[in-house]
Amino acid sequence: MEKSRISVRNLNLYYGTNHALKDVSLEIRGSAVTALIGPSGCGKSSFLRCINRMNDFVEGVRVEGKVLLDGENLYDRRVDATLLRKKVGMVFQRPNPFPMSIYDNIVYGPRLHGIRARQELDGIVEETLREAALFGEVKDRLKKSALALSGGQQQRLCIARALAVRPEVLLMDEPTSALDPVSTRKVEELIRNLKKKYTVVIVTHNMQQAARVCDDTAFFLAGELVESGPGDVLFSRPKDRRTREYIAGRFG
Amino acid sequence: MKTETKHPHSGSVMADRRKKNAAEGIAQTVFAACAFFVILAVVSITLYLLAKGVPALLQVGPGKILLGTVWKPTAAEPQYGIFHVILTSLAGTALAVLLGVPVGILTAAFLAEIADRRLAAVVKPAVELLAGIPSVLYGLLGLTLLNPLIYRLELTLFRDSPDHRFTGGANLLSAALVLAVMILPTVISVSETAIRSVPPGIRAASLALGGSRVQTVFRAVLPAAKSGIATAIVLGVGRAVGEAAAIALVAGGCVNPPFPFRSVRFLATAIVSEMGYAAGRHRQMLFTIGLVLFSLLMAVNAALTKIRKAGTGEHG
Repeated sequence: MEKSRISVRNLNLYYGTNHALKDVSLEIRGSAVTALIGPSGCGKSSFLRCINRMNDFVEGVRVEGKVLLDGENLYDRRVDATLLRKKVGMVFQRPNPFPMSIYDNIVYGPRLHGIRARQELDGIVEETLREAALFGEVKDRLKKSALALSGGQQQRLCIARALAVRPEVLLMDEPTSALDPVSTRKVEELIRNLKKKYTVVIVTHNMQQAARVCDDTAFFLAGELVESGPGDVLFSRPKDRRTREYIAGRFG
Repeated sequence: MKTETKHPHSGSVMADRRKKNAAEGIAQTVFAACAFFVILAVVSITLYLLAKGVPALLQVGPGKILLGTVWKPTAAEPQYGIFHVILTSLAGTALAVLLGVPVGILTAAFLAEIADRRLAAVVKPAVELLAGIPSVLYGLLGLTLLNPLIYRLELTLFRDSPDHRFTGGANLLSAALVLAVMILPTVISVSETAIRSVPPGIRAASLALGGSRVQTVFRAVLPAAKSGIATAIVLGVGRAVGEAAAIALVAGGCVNPPFPFRSVRFLATAIVSEMGYAAGRHRQMLFTIGLVLFSLLMAVNAALTKIRKAGTGEHG
């Protein structure tokens, strides 16, 4: 395995008394797509939210263990979570554009971080929309409401919006589960392109999708990491019986 | 097999038409009657105000009334100019909104987004209580607490101006402050509902982009709640324009152009304070004032309807 970008060590997560992640350790490679798979409630989304500390906002949450990004522990007391989230972007399950124009959606993040110059913002808008393969479809209506876009376009806008703060890691929480097959295909294509520049971690319910987009795969079950490794190996020769059964569609 | 013996004829979907029609018919009549009474109230108020207010308006002349600046209804040659009274209502309301709305919106944002549950559990009932206090009590409180404070301010500010006619604190500024407090509960509760109805995904998106809690409230949540907040402001304006009892106690009551330290009279208080002894043309004129007040509130309502329509459109 190549040098890892994110390394998770003995991570335990509790929501109140609910032990949601149990002693998870995982190495995530840079410039690759890592898919997290497993049945609903297995902890894969909770795991994802540990990487940008979005779990901080959940009441009664407690995290033990280490998440190292480029060698820095994200749960160190000195970490500024807003800086972390600038470096580690996130795309959500349901497209969640702001009720503003397409343009204002994209520049929301850059403005938060103090970019004011019109020219620079214009440049970011065009660049990120191109990266998200949306520019051609919306270039004539940047000032129109983002809510007028289709679901698939909204999700690509959300990806562009996440890219606009120049993150290095992109977390995606079931990004296509609310989309139709054509839009899903477009977003998957996009994900495969994104890995050239970004470290992508994606949670998915859809095993075909995991197989199509990922380099590495990690299988979660009931809060435990059961097995991880290169996707083609995990899918064709799973070591653990539970992985084999999940892939065969016997539960979940 | 057990269930089949229990319900041998459960299969028919044919209605017992007579029974059903009777119940439906009664319910419909009751609903229609209730709705009719509401319409009746609105129509009769409108017609009554028009019938009572329009004749005087036409006989004296709309220009002389609406733009006239002298109000001497009981003089030998009476004059009925209410321009200053209209201006006072507009200026007083504007000032109250200017003072009350920012406080109200910030309180709502605090309650909905920032305050922890225990604190919100204390503040929210307090706000609701504020809404339930009879308005004349706001007036009493203003009279005994606020007016002396404003008078002290007035004494310092106008120490060197011999022309100033001292109001003893009963002036436009006091009235606007009392109104500002009175519109708070409306502004707070309506804005808070609007803020709470912003989808959680909007907050998550802002936080995940590296926004702080406060940035998220001001840049994402409040803009997303803007049509609800606009509704809150308009409702506050409506409350302020129509208020009479509290204002009658703290505004001084003289007909003057609206300056902060002048004793002033609002539209609603003009009716309340003179109706007791007014007769003839003077009495009719008070109905004309009522008509003006009614038109103002209609305009506020029209604005509200427009905002609500716009709110269902593009940007929630």
